[in-house]
Amino acid sequence: MKSAPTLSAAFLHPAGQSLPEPLLALRKQRGTALVDMPLPTRKTENWKYSSKYLKLTDEIAISLPADRKSGSSLAVPGYKVVFLNGVMMPEASEYPDLSGITIERFSDLDDDTATTLAERMDSTLDNNAVQMARLNSARFEDGLLIRLAADAVLEQPLFIVHEVTADASGSAYPRIFVEAGRNSQITLVEEYISSGSESVMVNTVTELALADGANVTSIRLNTEGENVQHIGATGVRQQRSSRFESHCVGFGGPLRRHDLQVRLEGEGAECKLNGVVVTQGKQHYDNHTTIEHVAAHCNSEETYRNIAADQSHAVFNGRIHIHQDAQKSNADMNNKNLLLSNGAEIDTKPELEIYADDVKCAHGATIGQLDEVSLFYLVSRGIGRREANVLLTMAFINELVEQIPVAQVRETAQARLNQFFDQTFEGA
Amino acid sequence: MATTDKEVNELIKREYEHGFITEIESDTFEPGLNEDVIARLSAIKKEPEWMLEWRLKAYRRWLEMDEPDWAHVGYPKVDYNSISYYSAPKRKEDMPQSLDEVDPELLKTYEKLGIPLHEREKLAGVAVDAVFDSVSVATTFKEPLAKAGVIFCSISEAVRDYPELVQKYLGTVVPHGDNFFAALNSAVFSDGTFVYVPKGVRCPMELSTYFRINAANTGQFERTLIIAEDSSYVSYLEGCTAPMRDENQLHAAVVELVALDDAQIKYSTVQNWYPGDENGKGGIFNFVTKRGACIGKNSKISWTQVETGSAVTWKYPSCVLRGDNSVGEFYSVALTNNFQQADTGTKMIHLGKNTSSTIISKGISAGKSSNAYRGLVKFGPGAEGARNFTQCDSLLIGDRCGAHTFPYIESKNKSAIVEHEATTSKVSDEQMFLCRQRGIEPEQAVSMIVNGFCKEVFKELPMEFAVEAGKLLEVSLEGSVG
Repeated sequence: MKSAPTLSAAFLHPAGQSLPEPLLALRKQRGTALVDMPLPTRKTENWKYSSKYLKLTDEIAISLPADRKSGSSLAVPGYKVVFLNGVMMPEASEYPDLSGITIERFSDLDDDTATTLAERMDSTLDNNAVQMARLNSARFEDGLLIRLAADAVLEQPLFIVHEVTADASGSAYPRIFVEAGRNSQITLVEEYISSGSESVMVNTVTELALADGANVTSIRLNTEGENVQHIGATGVRQQRSSRFESHCVGFGGPLRRHDLQVRLEGEGAECKLNGVVVTQGKQHYDNHTTIEHVAAHCNSEETYRNIAADQSHAVFNGRIHIHQDAQKSNADMNNKNLLLSNGAEIDTKPELEIYADDVKCAHGATIGQLDEVSLFYLVSRGIGRREANVLLTMAFINELVEQIPVAQVRETAQARLNQFFDQTFEGA
Repeated sequence: MATTDKEVNELIKREYEHGFITEIESDTFEPGLNEDVIARLSAIKKEPEWMLEWRLKAYRRWLEMDEPDWAHVGYPKVDYNSISYYSAPKRKEDMPQSLDEVDPELLKTYEKLGIPLHEREKLAGVAVDAVFDSVSVATTFKEPLAKAGVIFCSISEAVRDYPELVQKYLGTVVPHGDNFFAALNSAVFSDGTFVYVPKGVRCPMELSTYFRINAANTGQFERTLIIAEDSSYVSYLEGCTAPMRDENQLHAAVVELVALDDAQIKYSTVQNWYPGDENGKGGIFNFVTKRGACIGKNSKISWTQVETGSAVTWKYPSCVLRGDNSVGEFYSVALTNNFQQADTGTKMIHLGKNTSSTIISKGISAGKSSNAYRGLVKFGPGAEGARNFTQCDSLLIGDRCGAHTFPYIESKNKSAIVEHEATTSKVSDEQMFLCRQRGIEPEQAVSMIVNGFCKEVFKELPMEFAVEAGKLLEVSLEGSVG
């Protein structure tokens, strides 16, 4: 039997030595663990549909330089932090100095804070399930630590713009860690953008720890270019009565992968995960979500919609795991998919794994095309065919787009969606 | 609920009623597997050369394969060299010429199992092929079936008497190297049933096979092949039991169904292999590959299964819907109790135009068992207008069991429509209260509720089996609510 390909050693040379000692040590240790790590193949369950898109050449292993001023002209009102090629750009960032809220880049951390952080990093993620994101822990050059003290409230959303400049091949490894104290509140917007056209990879990890009663909303918008392979993981741990809301809007690329893992560890915690994925051309997008109901009396609600046009490929894998003592859990998962073309492919797997008996769990999944009857209805009332297609496609995801609590993100997403409609329903 | 708890404990301790061992002399191979064993097996069965070649090809392929470990089950590794690959009740002469010549001990066994083996028990109206350990011991109603043109015999006979049919279809649905257990079966299958329904014939009666593992340390590897020619119809039932033994025994069967134009095959299973005792000791490992190919236009294959036995079940009856407008159906009730583990479901592969499939799966887990539904619904690029509806519901009884759902849905055709729904629930207090209020005993109430939960599947079973399945469920489950 042919042995499985392993991670090239070229990927194990992190750049940037300006991190505090404990983080450098952590990075080194994580790197050692990855020596000869087998790469996912078609036979790797959680990469079954996506491994063929993963192209890790040695050129991509090189760290992208972070010495250029951000090209981002994003007119973001309010607070923003800009990462360029995985390194924070203080001069491009604007964030408040509020009591109870500390926002620091990793390289500015003192040793004590860095030691604590090093202990907690990776603790929100199931390392076996996010094998490719582990590369981030071995390569991160910088990162952002956001700490909210008890009862601290950040009134405006904090934008974190992750930009990669693909003037040459390489990769970037941005990293975020959020600690939300008791009853604190924050809305984070992570936006992934790119410039340039060389083949690059973004490998990003965001971790969020929610203390009792914390309320965190996380919005993720991915509009990177056709040259960017994106591997992302988000890990969330929730304590008693905390609430987490996630909105992911993603447009396809050569490889797009996002693992979202939520652990409901305290009673009364709840989470809501929404996702919209749009793919066209030969694009790919793969969302893997896991919700672990560890404690009793927790609620989770998940709604994902995929739209695949042309020869593109969208994948959804949702897993709900109810642990033995998680009685009175409520979990609801729903995944609907729209196939707009015969060359496109959609694969979905909504999984339930249940070890407690007093629970209410349901999941549903559908795949279909636009309804001919509805199209006819609209056309017969004088609406053009193109317009009718757009209306119905938009209606399929509008419910989720509308729920995004930050207007700026809704607008950016809508603009991208309009582009997609123009290209897809051109001749209709 | 103290009274219920007591009843639960009493009922859970209820023993497996088919657990007796029949004392009959048998010829059994010494444990172990190699090419010589296969050659000997083939020689005993007086098989033609091509059959032996095919077995050896499968064996060589098997040697290169790894045992699958993706299923949601855990069991000690099977040592394939400690199993005997052939065990047959000893007979003085060759094959018995009529039922009178069948070993009376054997007949008694089947009577205990409630199988109408004697032709005089015609009231059941079911033609039976009984497979005891490795060989088919008796087939009833051969003559009336032959009059209709239906061939119903053991696969060993078919290999000798109808080699051209067997050669044409054997391994076309489940190839010899399909998976680890199918390859093993292809190498060492000892017997099984062969059914051939010619063009335009509606099989006049239900066909049935009863499988029983009797001897210790043997594995049972039967192989069933059913061919339904154009516009024919056949309904086939199988049932399985085994004695209680402390060791785990292996059952690795392969079932192949072929439906040509406008043909219909209905395949029902009531699987009640020994599930092991209440501590999870012993029981059958049931690793079965079942697949039907709807080759012809407008053909239909329908699987109905009631799974209550086996320590570990690994079984995915599937349909390959190749012919345009063909239909696949899967109705399943899987019940696990104590330490039983089941990973079962179906695969519906839509290749032809306007193909449709329905999946109704009901999983019930009690005790410390684990019950998983694993299914695949796949639409190829040519599956224009194809349709699938899937519903898998789980019922949990007790807080130490697990119920899981792993549905894979893959679509490459935009006009194909798939709908999947799953729910998990328990027997609700309200339902129990309603029943108790009307004077129904808790045990009976649970049984009623569970029967109601499974009704959609039971109504698909042939009459006799539906009754048996209902009873089986009651026995396996009664009172396990606490």
